[in-house]
Amino acid sequence: MAEHYSSFERGGRRWLFQRLTAVFLIGVLAFHFVLLHFVNHAADITFLGTQARMSQVGYFATMWLFLVTATFHGVNGVYNALVNQGLTGSQKNAVKYLLVVAGLLLVVQGTRVALAMTNLV
Amino acid sequence: MSTQIEQQETETEEQEAEPEVESPGDRRRAAKRQRLQEEEAQRVAEEETLDDEETVHLKVFRYDPEVEGKQEPRFDDFTVPYHKGMTVLDALIYARDRYDSSLTFRHSCRQAVCGSDALFVNGRQRLGCKTQLSDLEDPVRIEPLPHQEVVKDLVVDMEHFYDQMEAVEPFFDPDELPEDDLEEQRQTRENRETVKMSTRCIWCGACMSSCNIAAGDNEYLGPAAINKAYRFAMDEREGEQRKQERLRIIEQEHGVWRCQTQFSCTEVCPKDIPLTEHIQALKRESVKNNLKFW
Amino acid sequence: MSQSYNRGTVEDFGRWREFTAGMWAWIFHKFTGWVLVGYLFTHIAVLSTAINVDPAAAQSSADIYTNTIAGLESLLVVRFLEVGLLAVAVFHILNGIRLLMVDLGVGLESQDKSFYASLVLTGAIVVASVPTFLGGKLV
Ligand code: HEM
Ligand code: SF4
Ligand code: FES
Repeated sequence: MAEHYSSFERGGRRWLFQRLTAVFLIGVLAFHFVLLHFVNHAADITFLGTQARMSQVGYFATMWLFLVTATFHGVNGVYNALVNQGLTGSQKNAVKYLLVVAGLLLVVQGTRVALAMTNLV
Repeated sequence: MSTQIEQQETETEEQEAEPEVESPGDRRRAAKRQRLQEEEAQRVAEEETLDDEETVHLKVFRYDPEVEGKQEPRFDDFTVPYHKGMTVLDALIYARDRYDSSLTFRHSCRQAVCGSDALFVNGRQRLGCKTQLSDLEDPVRIEPLPHQEVVKDLVVDMEHFYDQMEAVEPFFDPDELPEDDLEEQRQTRENRETVKMSTRCIWCGACMSSCNIAAGDNEYLGPAAINKAYRFAMDEREGEQRKQERLRIIEQEHGVWRCQTQFSCTEVCPKDIPLTEHIQALKRESVKNNLKFW
Repeated sequence: MSQSYNRGTVEDFGRWREFTAGMWAWIFHKFTGWVLVGYLFTHIAVLSTAINVDPAAAQSSADIYTNTIAGLESLLVVRFLEVGLLAVAVFHILNGIRLLMVDLGVGLESQDKSFYASLVLTGAIVVASVPTFLGGKLV
């Protein structure tokens, strides 16, 4: 209700980042799909092939950014959907931290995977 | 309705006076006007074929927590003699006056200016007085607005809606006033065009009722309140201080960001206000405003 | 508002019939978005087999990473699921572009048409891709 607007969240930065990451993802997701299903058939993927791609700095950087932006975009999207459904109070906070932790874990694990795919470590 | 036709005429005149500013809204309204004209022609054609004995079958939602036997909501059937040009509101008035004086609904102006009679008619939010029976399929099912507490029959509690409207502080507060008390506070023609549609709101609540985000999130300001904020924030005469405060209200988590651009409010608004367009404009305004402080 | 009086299925039925383009677009975008995050988590989990592969086995493509992917790809269900994922991704991208346009205030008056266009295009792209996805050796 009217008087309850106390927790100011200036700016709608999350809204803006959701759109900015979306713009980036349009290109990368399409690229990813085409490369790994049409150029290289998914069934023909081997570790050596993956390693050859991931050891190129540009490709590695793109994939890592793909991971980070997709994680933010996806996790933030889920959070928004729940707020739209009227999630409030401590439940909302619990969900928020849960999602942040899940997102961080995904990025950490994804980074480990990405590094293991290179011939760097 | 005669009033409607008159309104259309004045709008065409206005357009002729200023052909150079054609916004997406103008195009959409032009398309809508044309559609309405076609529908009107079809309606007239259909009405010619009706005879005098025509009746309409109403199914009206009934509920009254204070009367035993009406505590369980139900639908009552009324058969009302139809006459040319009859609206949903006319039919309800007939049913109340002739059949059941306890049938309760709000109405006042009967010409789409007071905003009292937004109802859920055949699965959609509409103004009773602005909805021709001939446009509807028989039987006509009339229910109170969804997502609001029902007080009795077709009457819903509008308190929450009014609270949200007031939350955006809908009043004019310029920084500087003209020297002379009697002088008008002028606005450019372009600016008038920007806010014109937003000033037409009649506080009927149809938009809020159609929005499934407002249904889930009780704190969401809702389309009408955001449109109110737009009306003042986009007015060039609004003071800078007030505009900042107003933006701060609509930029909160339960402000503009909750809008998911489903266009349901824009579809139902009886005054054809491009609500989604206005909400989106405020989102961009807010982002622009905040980029300056990064 | 969420405490509104429950008027039962009568009301809900009417609501579904009157669902308009923008509402369907929203539901589909939501659904596809959730599928995509779900997939992202699963995807990273599967790819985690790349950690600590035996370099010797990798030379002859007999490492667990290669085997896991080949194993999954040999299942017909997986192939179908991939077509589903493509459909979901393509719709999310196309409708995502539509939403970005709406955010910029471009073409608001044809938002319904652009939704139908997203659907049709998604269908076309998916149908055209089926051979590529189901073809290729199933082991
Ligand atoms: C490829 C280009 C993509 C585009 C253009 C795009 C666009 C968008 C946009 C604009 C929204 C915001 C909808 C709104 O809040 O009104 C959104 C929501 C969402 N996106 Fe994406 N997205 C893309 C990729 C992805 C990916 C890769 C994922 C998964 C990790 C994803 C998951 C989601 C989720 C979960 C939502 C929230 C859905 C909801 O409202 O319930 N998106 N997307
Ligand atoms: S914006 Fe339109 S639908 Fe909403 S309250 Fe005002 S007149 Fe009614
Ligand atoms: S009775 Fe006034 S708006 Fe319908």
